[in-house]
Amino acid sequence: MPTSDIGLDKTLADLGVTQPEQVALRFAKIRVHFQEHFQTVHDESEWKSFRDRWLGRKSGVLTQITDNWLKPATPQLKRAVGASLNELRAHVESQIEARRAAIESGAEESALARERVDLSLPGFIRPTGSHHLIRQVFQEIEDIFFSIGFSVVEGPEIETPYYNFEALNIPEFHPVRDDMDTFYLELPTGAKTPLLLRTHTSPMQIRTMEKQKPPVRVIVPGKVYRRDNPDATHSFAFHQIEGLAVDSDITFCDFTGTIEYFVKEFFGPSVKTRFRPSYFPFTEPSVEFDVSCPFCGGTGTAAGGGTCSKCKGAAWIELFGAGMVDPAVYGFVNYDAKRVSGFAFGIGIDRLAMLKYGIDDIQVFFQNDVRFLRQFP
Amino acid sequence: MKVVYNWLKDFVDLTATPQDLASRLALSGTNIAGVENGPHGAVIDAEVSSNRPDCLGHYGVAREVGAIYKLPLRHVAPKPAESSAKASDAVKVEIQSSELCGRFTARVIRNVKIQPSPKWLKDRLEASGVASISNVVDISNYVMLELGHPLHTFDYDKVRDHKIIVRRAKPADAAGKAAPEKMRTLDGIERTFDSNICMISDGDGSRPIGIGGIMGGAETEISFSTKNVLIECAWFEPVAIRRAARFLKLHTEASTRFGRGADPEMAELASRRAAELILQLAGGELLSGVVDIYPGKRAPKKIRVTRAEILRVMGADVPDKQVEASLSALGFAPVRIDQNRGAEGSLLAAWECTQPSWRAEVEREIDLIEEIARIYGLDKFPPRLPAARQGAARLPHYEAETRLRERLIGLGYREILTIPHVAEERDALFRPNGVSPARLSNPLSEEANVLRSTGIVTIAGALEWNLNHGQRNVRLFEIGRHYRLNGSESIETRVLTIGATGEAREKGLYDAACDFSFADLKGDLDSLGELVGGFHWQQDGLSWLNPARAATIAVLENLNFPVGYAGQLARRVAEKLKLRQNVFLAELELDPVYAAMRTAKEARRYEPLPKFPSVERDFSLLLADGTKFSDVTKTIQSLGIQEISAVEATDLFRGKSVPAGKYSLLVRVTFQSREATLTEAQIGDYSGKIIYALEKNLGAQRRAS
Ligand SMILES: [Zn+2]
Repeated sequence: MPTSDIGLDKTLADLGVTQPEQVALRFAKIRVHFQEHFQTVHDESEWKSFRDRWLGRKSGVLTQITDNWLKPATPQLKRAVGASLNELRAHVESQIEARRAAIESGAEESALARERVDLSLPGFIRPTGSHHLIRQVFQEIEDIFFSIGFSVVEGPEIETPYYNFEALNIPEFHPVRDDMDTFYLELPTGAKTPLLLRTHTSPMQIRTMEKQKPPVRVIVPGKVYRRDNPDATHSFAFHQIEGLAVDSDITFCDFTGTIEYFVKEFFGPSVKTRFRPSYFPFTEPSVEFDVSCPFCGGTGTAAGGGTCSKCKGAAWIELFGAGMVDPAVYGFVNYDAKRVSGFAFGIGIDRLAMLKYGIDDIQVFFQNDVRFLRQFP
Repeated sequence: MKVVYNWLKDFVDLTATPQDLASRLALSGTNIAGVENGPHGAVIDAEVSSNRPDCLGHYGVAREVGAIYKLPLRHVAPKPAESSAKASDAVKVEIQSSELCGRFTARVIRNVKIQPSPKWLKDRLEASGVASISNVVDISNYVMLELGHPLHTFDYDKVRDHKIIVRRAKPADAAGKAAPEKMRTLDGIERTFDSNICMISDGDGSRPIGIGGIMGGAETEISFSTKNVLIECAWFEPVAIRRAARFLKLHTEASTRFGRGADPEMAELASRRAAELILQLAGGELLSGVVDIYPGKRAPKKIRVTRAEILRVMGADVPDKQVEASLSALGFAPVRIDQNRGAEGSLLAAWECTQPSWRAEVEREIDLIEEIARIYGLDKFPPRLPAARQGAARLPHYEAETRLRERLIGLGYREILTIPHVAEERDALFRPNGVSPARLSNPLSEEANVLRSTGIVTIAGALEWNLNHGQRNVRLFEIGRHYRLNGSESIETRVLTIGATGEAREKGLYDAACDFSFADLKGDLDSLGELVGGFHWQQDGLSWLNPARAATIAVLENLNFPVGYAGQLARRVAEKLKLRQNVFLAELELDPVYAAMRTAKEARRYEPLPKFPSVERDFSLLLADGTKFSDVTKTIQSLGIQEISAVEATDLFRGKSVPAGKYSLLVRVTFQSREATLTEAQIGDYSGKIIYALEKNLGAQRRAS
C-alpha cells in the first residue's frame, strides 16, 4: 500500500481532519496497514527494508507523520496527533525489535543444523607412537624404588664368569649353574677370560660394590639371557630389575618391608604377600616371594567357579627370588661382613607384565607386531 | 623328590593332613610343586633345593617335619643277624683315589633268592615313580629313597678276585697308543672316561665295574641267577661327581645325591639297612661286620650363633626356646655357652652347635640363623621401610633418553624391544667394514648365532614381521645396544634405531594418503636434532642404502665423526629380506647425542622477542640441477645483512614450464630489525642485493611469479 493511500503525503487539513476523533481514526488505519505489512516480513533483508520504511529517518512513515501531520497541525489537534504518534512509535519499535530477535534466532537455528559437527565421526588423527609395555613396566618399577631412595645403574650384558658366577658365590660346577644355561661368546685364542651373556642382572651387585662404599641402594634394569628353547613362557632373552641395598643396619625386616612396599604400589594395596625360605648361593637367608593371586583375589577359585587358571588354585603366585646378601659375597668386594648387611632381589619384568596385563605368550614382547604395540600406548 | 606321605609315618607320628604338611613345608623352605592323591595315599611333589641333599630321602624330610611340628624323630637302627663268617675275609677294598672317594663300605650276603618284590615294597616304589625290578635291586632303590643315600649291589661272583679297587679312570696316553678307558654301563651304553672320573674296578684293577657315585657297569649287574650279593655303599666327592655327570651327560638319582653332597656317616647305616631288608625279602646269610675304608672321615665342625647376630641380620628377636628347639630338631645340638646362661632372652646369648654330617653346607653363623628363622617362620619378622641416607640418582642419560623417546612417540613412532641374537648372514648385510661381530660359541640355532652388530638388523626384522602379518604402515624405534668385539674385548654401544615403511599419512576423512619418504625421515630426525642444536647432514653411501637417498649425520661437537646414518634401504637388500615396499632406516649412536643434548641445554639462553614487525619476501628462482638449497642460503647469508632472520624453501618443482636441467625453487626470506620497523626502501634495497648475488654466484634466473 503506497503511503499516498493513507494520506501521509498530505496535511491533516488537506485530508479534512478537524476533530481529534478523526485523528484517532487515521492512526487506527495506519496500525492496520502496519500489521498487514508486518506479516510479510520473514528474513533479514525483508526486515531491513520494512524497518527503513517505517523508522527511516528521511522518509520513514513515522517521519512523514511528524513532518506532514504533526508539524502543520492546528493547535487544537496537535495534542491528539502527538499522543497518537507516540503510541504508534512505541508499537512499531517494539514490534520491529521483536521481529528482529525472532528472525535472528531462526537464522541461527538453521545455521546450526547445517554446521553442527557429527561427533560420531573421528577427528583428524595424527599418527602417534607408543611406549613398549616392557619399558613402561620398567619405568613404573624404577619410579617406585626411586621414590624410596634407590638409584638406577646399568651394566654390561656381555659379562665375565667372574662377575656372573664366581663373585656371586657360584663356583664352577655349582649345581645352580645347571639352572642357568649360559650363552658364551666365541673369542680369539689367548683371550684373558671367557665372555658370556649375563644370566641375571646380579653381576651389577658386584660391580656396584666394587666402586662404591656403603650405603648402597641401587636398582639395575636390563636384559638377561638364558639358553632356553623359546615357548610361551620362555624366551632366551628377557628382562630383570636387580635391587641391592647395603648399609650398616639393614635387616631382614627392612628387606621384607621394602619388597612389600613395592608390591603394594605395583599391584595395589589389597594384595597380600608372603616370603618362603629358599636357596640362592648369593643370598642368605634366601626367600621366594609370593603375592596373593590378583586374578582370583587369593581364593584359588575363578570368578565363575572352578580352579583359577592363573594360580592353578594355589591362591598364591610366585613372583621372584631375593634375600639377605650372603656374607661370602662381601668378601669379593672388600666389604666387612661383620659391619654391613643388606638385601638383594631380582625381579623378572616380562613375567610381571604378563601377570599384570594377562598376556599368555612371552614372545609377543619381541615380535613387535603393531597390533600388540598399539594396545599399550 | 616325591614324598610319600605314609612313608614319613615310619619316622614321625604325623597327624597333620597332607595339604597342611605341604603348606608348612613350603613355608619352611621346601618348594612344593603339588600334592596328589594316588592309590598309595598322598604324594607330595617336593622341589628340594640343591643345598639340601639331606631332604632327598624320606628320613631327612621326616626330620624337617619333626622340626616344624615339634615331633620326635624315630632313628633308624637296623640290626640284621650276621653269620660267623667275616665280610673282611670275603671281600677286599682298596681306595687309590681318596680325593674322589672318601668312604667305601662293602657287605656280602650269600645264598639270596632273587625274586620279585613283595607288594608293600612295589607300592612304595611305584608311589615314588620308580619301576620295580627284583627284590635286591628294589631294595637298593628303596634304601636310597628312604635314607637319601645311594647304594649299589653287585653280583658277588662276578667281581674278580672279590677285590674292589677305587681309582681314577685311565686316560689316553700322550703318544696316543692307549685309548681312554671305556665301560658299558647298566643302561647298555658304552661310555668313555677321563682321568677326573672315579671308577670302581675289580681284580687287579684293570677292569672297571662301575662309575663311582653315578652308575654301575653291566658286567657285574644283579640278575635272577645271582646267588651272592656284594653291597657297595660309599661316599664320593660332590664337585667331582657334578663334573663327571656333566662330562658324561649322565645324570642319575645317585649322581644327584652325591653331587649335592651325601652324608658320609650314612654310608654304613644305609648298607646295614639294605642288608636287613635283603635278609628279610631274599633270605641268605649276611657275613659279619663290614669292610669300611674311610679316608675322608672328618671331625664335626663347631659353629657358634649369637643373639646379637640374629638381631643384626634379622632385625627382630627369636625366643631362646625356639632357637634351641629348632636347632636341636635339625640335629645341630645347640649348647648355651655365654656367661648369662641362665637368663632367658639375654642379649649376650650364644650357642655352640655341632654340624651334623648330613648338613655339610651349614658352616657359618649365618647358615644357622637361616635355619632358626625358617623354622620360626619368616612372617614373624615385622616388615618396615628402612630410612634413606642419601639422595637417589637416575641414570646419567635418563633425561636425554626420556626426551628423545617422548619426541619420537609424538612423531608417531612405536617403541620396540628386540632380541639381539640374529643369523650371521643377516647381520653381515648391515655390518660396517672392519667390524668384528660377537659370535656365540653355543648358539641355540644358526638363525641366532651372532649378536647384532647394528640395531638395523633387528628393526628390519620387526618391519618384516609386520609386513608379513598384514601391517603395512609401520614406524618403529628401538633404544638398545649393538654388540661388537675388539680383539677379545666386547663393546656394547647404546644406539637409537629407526625404521619406517608404508604410508606416513593414511587416507582418511580429511586427508589424502601420503607415502613415507626420505623427507619424512629427515624431518623427524631434524626434530630430534633440535635437541642437540641441529644435526649436520652429509651425502654418504653406506653399501646397503640407496645411494641417492643416503646420508650420515653429525653433531656440532664433531663434524668429522658422524653419530649416525639415515636413508632408504637399497632395493637389492630389501629384496633379500623380502621387504616389498620402500623401507627407511636410521641409526644414531646415543652417547655422543646425549652429550650434545647436555651441551645444547647448558648453552640455551633466552632471546628477547622482537618489538617490530617482520617482513617476508618471496624469490622465485630457476636453478641448475645440482645447485643446492644450501648454496642459496650461503649466498644470501654472505651478504651480511643483519636484518635477514630466516631463509626458507617454500616450493620446489621440475618439468612443465621449467626447462630441462633446471628446477624452480621458491625462496622466502624474512627480514626483521631489532631497532625499527623496516621501510619499503630498505626491503627493496636488500631484495636487489639478494637477486644480484644469486644471479652472479649461482646463475639463478628469476621467474615471474
Ligand atoms: Zn588365582
